[in-house]
Amino acid sequence: MGNDNQKDKGKPEDPMSAWMKTAGTFWEGMFQTWTQAMDGMTAPNAPKGDKTSQAKTSFDTAMKAFRNFSKVASGPDSMESLFKGAGAMPQILAKMAQTGLGGFLQFQQKWLERAGQLGKSTEAYKFEDLDENAFRAWAGIYETEFKRFFNIPQLGLTRFYQEKMNQAVDKFNIFQTTQAEFQRLLYLPITRSFGVLQEKLGEMTKDGDLPEDPKTYYQMWVKILEGHYMTLFQSPEYTHTLGQTMDAMSEFSHAKNEVIQDILGMFPIPTEKEIDELYKEIYLLKKRINALEKLGVKP
Amino acid sequence: MSQPKIPVDLILSKLAEDAERVHARTHKAADILLEPLDTEIATTPYDVVYEEDRVKLKHYIPTTKSRLKTPLLVVYALINRETMLDLQPGKSVVQTFLNEGIDLYMIDWGYPTRKDKFLTIDDHVNGYMDNVVNYICKKHGIPKINLMGICMGGTFSVIYSALHPQKIKNLITTVTPTNFDTDKGLLHIWMKDIDADKITDTYGNIPADVMNFGFLLLNPARLMLDKYIGFFENMDNKAFIENFIRMEKWIFDSPDVPGETFRQFIKDCYQKNLLIQSKMEVGGNRVDLKKITIPVLNYYGKYDHLVPPEACERLTGAVGSKDTEDVCLDTGHIGIYVSSKCQKEFAPRVSKWLKKRDTVSRKPRKKKATTGKTAARKIAAKPRSSSRSTKKKT
Repeated sequence: MGNDNQKDKGKPEDPMSAWMKTAGTFWEGMFQTWTQAMDGMTAPNAPKGDKTSQAKTSFDTAMKAFRNFSKVASGPDSMESLFKGAGAMPQILAKMAQTGLGGFLQFQQKWLERAGQLGKSTEAYKFEDLDENAFRAWAGIYETEFKRFFNIPQLGLTRFYQEKMNQAVDKFNIFQTTQAEFQRLLYLPITRSFGVLQEKLGEMTKDGDLPEDPKTYYQMWVKILEGHYMTLFQSPEYTHTLGQTMDAMSEFSHAKNEVIQDILGMFPIPTEKEIDELYKEIYLLKKRINALEKLGVKP
Repeated sequence: MSQPKIPVDLILSKLAEDAERVHARTHKAADILLEPLDTEIATTPYDVVYEEDRVKLKHYIPTTKSRLKTPLLVVYALINRETMLDLQPGKSVVQTFLNEGIDLYMIDWGYPTRKDKFLTIDDHVNGYMDNVVNYICKKHGIPKINLMGICMGGTFSVIYSALHPQKIKNLITTVTPTNFDTDKGLLHIWMKDIDADKITDTYGNIPADVMNFGFLLLNPARLMLDKYIGFFENMDNKAFIENFIRMEKWIFDSPDVPGETFRQFIKDCYQKNLLIQSKMEVGGNRVDLKKITIPVLNYYGKYDHLVPPEACERLTGAVGSKDTEDVCLDTGHIGIYVSSKCQKEFAPRVSKWLKKRDTVSRKPRKKKATTGKTAARKIAAKPRSSSRSTKKKT
């Protein structure tokens, strides 16, 4: 007996089998105590559909299933199979980790490649002339490289919300870029008009023709400035940038509204979209009523 | 040869004088700005005689006995407000019309809200305008009224007259764009590249602040800088300040524009230029300008940077009327209504033109474009076909 015990102890399945038996005994004891307590609480004439008796039935079923499972699982064959698997565990885990890490490294490499292209994109522009090309360079880099990150497909339950949020950030960045370009254009006439004024004053100094009244200098400058603005405003570059800025502003506003709609949807108030639908219905109804009234049909 | 001299001493002494003047001016300005100022606009009394949704019809209380049998309806643009015609006593087109004995009605388009974003040009012209005209006709027991349109309101009036010619006796258009295919005005250039669909779909109604910013950008040197320097230079002048504030009140009192109306106006007018070609459709009907056979008086400003003469002057050649007249005034977009010089010229002349056509109809005639009083004497009858090709402003 003593030898048998020692022999049994050496088998790895024994502790597992013992644990399952102990667990089974513990839960059965608990179940019995709980059943007695429940019986005391349940009214004698409680209907069949009573919630307490329903819980008791389902717990009873679960216990029976556990008993059956532990009986089979604690058998020598099952235990052997289980521990064979356990021996292979480190190998499986290593393989899983290897695959995951490999995927991650590949993904990271792609990102780095993309980041490496940031420098390449700027080659097309000349940064020497910073005020002219800086905005365009940034816009180009953003469009070709950064923007892609906001278009990575989102996953899971909240994917649509994340997508909208990404779009809002993306459109905001584009709007900021076009707005900066637009502001640069608007500022150009100011810098250039000062340059022209200086040249003019230089000529006037040579001729000894400088005005005495400081107001005259201001009036000269405003006139030059006005002329520069008129030239700028009629240029295709300005018209194009204005159009782009308006588009970017509209797109950002639209994307922002989409996010706000989602947030509003969580509150017990109507969204803009719902109100608009209602307004449209009212508008169409009024049109129909007006048309009928004109035909002489009385409501 | 002597070295040119820079009059530094004189410049500095002028600066010192200016500094003293600025000090004195600021001191006086503080008193003026802190005391009550008369900056009310649109003070001429009127009754609201008809209301529909946001739209009101104002009927001005006559100051003298009516000298015209036919009342006049004034239709303002959807951009800014009709109060511009009554900015201040003494500089009020409304008062001049009343003093001339005109029975005057004016549409107040009100302030569109989000629920108005679906309203189209059709709703404004065949809906509100038609209901207003019907109301006036019914009230006076007459089949036709006189119609005067301003800017975009003029465009609406042209469309209305073409679609309902039986209800209009005489048409007056002022600074009214009808030909949009021109690169003379900045708006005409800019609107070509605007994505009207995107803007309308995003904003619903077009925000007034966005439009106002656009108008300021038409001449930032003058409108955003020089104008306010002028204010500081004159802020010790009470009358100047009061007038300045009145104008500021009007200029920034801008309703939003209903989205669908904006969409059609930009696409059909600014981008496709359909109206002047009689190809525009409103409410399912083609706007055929040849159906306008009533007398047409067409006013515009030589220095109008919003609606340049090129955008206005083709109308009289495109309509079917034989009695037409172009008048080009030496002023800008709103100078026609608010400048002291044009005050004496514009409204009295409109009144005179209407009075001539208020009685028995005269022999139809076609007139050459004229500028102001002197050119009025140059009016000569011309055959219709030749007047179009030879029309010139003097």
